[in-house]
Amino acid sequence: MREVIFELSNKLRKGDISSVELTKEYIRSIEETNPKINAYVHSTFDYALDRAKNADDMLKEGKGSLLCGVPMTLKDNICTDGLETTCCSRILDGYRPYYDATVWEKLKNHGAVLLGKTNMDEFAMGSTSETSCYGPPLNPRNTDHVTGGSSGGGAAAVSANMAAYALGSDTGGSIRQPASFCGIVGLKPTYGAVSRYGLIAYGSSLDQIGPLTLSVMDAAIVFDVIKGFDNRDQTSSKHDYGDIIKAFNGDIKGKKIGVAQEYFDGINNEIKSRVLDAIKLFERNGAEIIDIKLPQLKQALPVYYILACAEASSNLGRYDGIRYGHRTTFYDSIEDMIYKTRSEGFGMEVKRRIMLGTYVLSSGYYDAYYKKACIIREQITKGFDDIFNKCDVLIAPTAPDTAFPLNYKGQSPVDMYLSDICTVPVNIAGIPAVSIPCGIDKKGLPIGMQIIGKKFDEAAILNMAYFYEQNGNVGIEQGGMAL
Amino acid sequence: MSITKPEILKLANLAKLRFSDEELDRFISEFDQIIAFADTINQSVEGGTDEIRSVSSPLVSHEELREDEVLPSLPNEKILSNVEGENGFFSVKRSKNERSDF
Repeated sequence: MREVIFELSNKLRKGDISSVELTKEYIRSIEETNPKINAYVHSTFDYALDRAKNADDMLKEGKGSLLCGVPMTLKDNICTDGLETTCCSRILDGYRPYYDATVWEKLKNHGAVLLGKTNMDEFAMGSTSETSCYGPPLNPRNTDHVTGGSSGGGAAAVSANMAAYALGSDTGGSIRQPASFCGIVGLKPTYGAVSRYGLIAYGSSLDQIGPLTLSVMDAAIVFDVIKGFDNRDQTSSKHDYGDIIKAFNGDIKGKKIGVAQEYFDGINNEIKSRVLDAIKLFERNGAEIIDIKLPQLKQALPVYYILACAEASSNLGRYDGIRYGHRTTFYDSIEDMIYKTRSEGFGMEVKRRIMLGTYVLSSGYYDAYYKKACIIREQITKGFDDIFNKCDVLIAPTAPDTAFPLNYKGQSPVDMYLSDICTVPVNIAGIPAVSIPCGIDKKGLPIGMQIIGKKFDEAAILNMAYFYEQNGNVGIEQGGMAL
Repeated sequence: MSITKPEILKLANLAKLRFSDEELDRFISEFDQIIAFADTINQSVEGGTDEIRSVSSPLVSHEELREDEVLPSLPNEKILSNVEGENGFFSVKRSKNERSDF
């Protein structure tokens, strides 16, 4: 299979295949591959076939958009009415939300077919998806390695032909880094571009939903449908994007690409060399390369972890065993029930982050950590604003390493946090970025390149990514698309 | 700065979490590393917290608030569908240490 949305959509519209037939093909693929990869944690096959029948009717009536009848998957933290959504945490065991997330509502209206919910780090807290209560998804490129995280299941599902596309969420790199590790495209949109209503919250000022796809055009097609104002999300933007797809012209002549040395410090040499090769390709084709400085970058990691954990400690306060999910069996009092439920239900990494968040918000430490992080956040945001006065986009590696072996960084939480260095600055500043494959390392594992843009300029980064996809000569065997 | 066991227990209490003795010992050494990592923020800030103007996210604009109007709520029976419910309320077991005269 491994067909892009555009091709699948063409076949569906021409009647070469029905959505029901296509959905059955994906179900077969999941049944065959998922036992080896563990990408899906909840399957919704009966529901998918119902949705596919509905999509076939829409197609017959000529009502279907590009996504009509195309089978896809959602990360396990995106709410779907009546369908299990657990954030891969014991504390939400068996939880069936009673409403749809706005993104799913929009996709449903376009005739999307939901195959199931995909694996992730518990509450999206992690960089390998190994903190999932269902065990880790494995990288389809090499099953001894992780998929990255936290949207690892979605990245693996798309990479291994178990879905045409996936929606993930990105708080500090959770779409881009697994896309990079699994050799696919991952778009983290501008903060506020896509409604967060129905996305189970981790770090509310950083979280953003976005697509994981096989091609850049596919990312644009999905983004085009899920973006837009939603009055149920106070941070949702009314920005008018115009026609994103029409912005694709592959013309990069005269575009100014910023390159910051700070993004390349401490990066694996093979990754550095492939990303620099890509930058040279842009230069040979008429782009202008501008050396820029981003000294604030080294501050981004502690700022991210302080803010994200502070927000998480508050957001996860709601899990008390009373209204949904796991509840402990034996307890002496309501207080005892809440303590036991939370201690049994949360995994160790979630507890660590709740504790760190509680620490930085507690009396005596608030000024030293949380307030300072807010100030530096403003400085980082301003640093990016200054860069985008001079450049159209910024290019950087997506991650300092290719996919880690399983359990490689499990011993030290801080070592794992450090691996997010290339992705978190974008979330802190609320700007968009796309990760695209740009080659493989000696072990055969995909390398990702990140193209970063200014707020609401998804068109610029996607157009640049599209040029590279068409001209970068990164074939499917190298982690890219066969073109 | 090293974090002490009483400090960790105080935090755990604020966060409504309990740790076994074994978990606690592991947690203290890990937490020291995590705090040291968070402390690197203090190496990078020039000036004091006097310069701090606002702690709200600069990304969020509250200029346009939606109309304050009453909209239909989610149906009660759906909200109660995930857990034990009784007469339209969430219910928990009566506990021996709770007051029974409510």
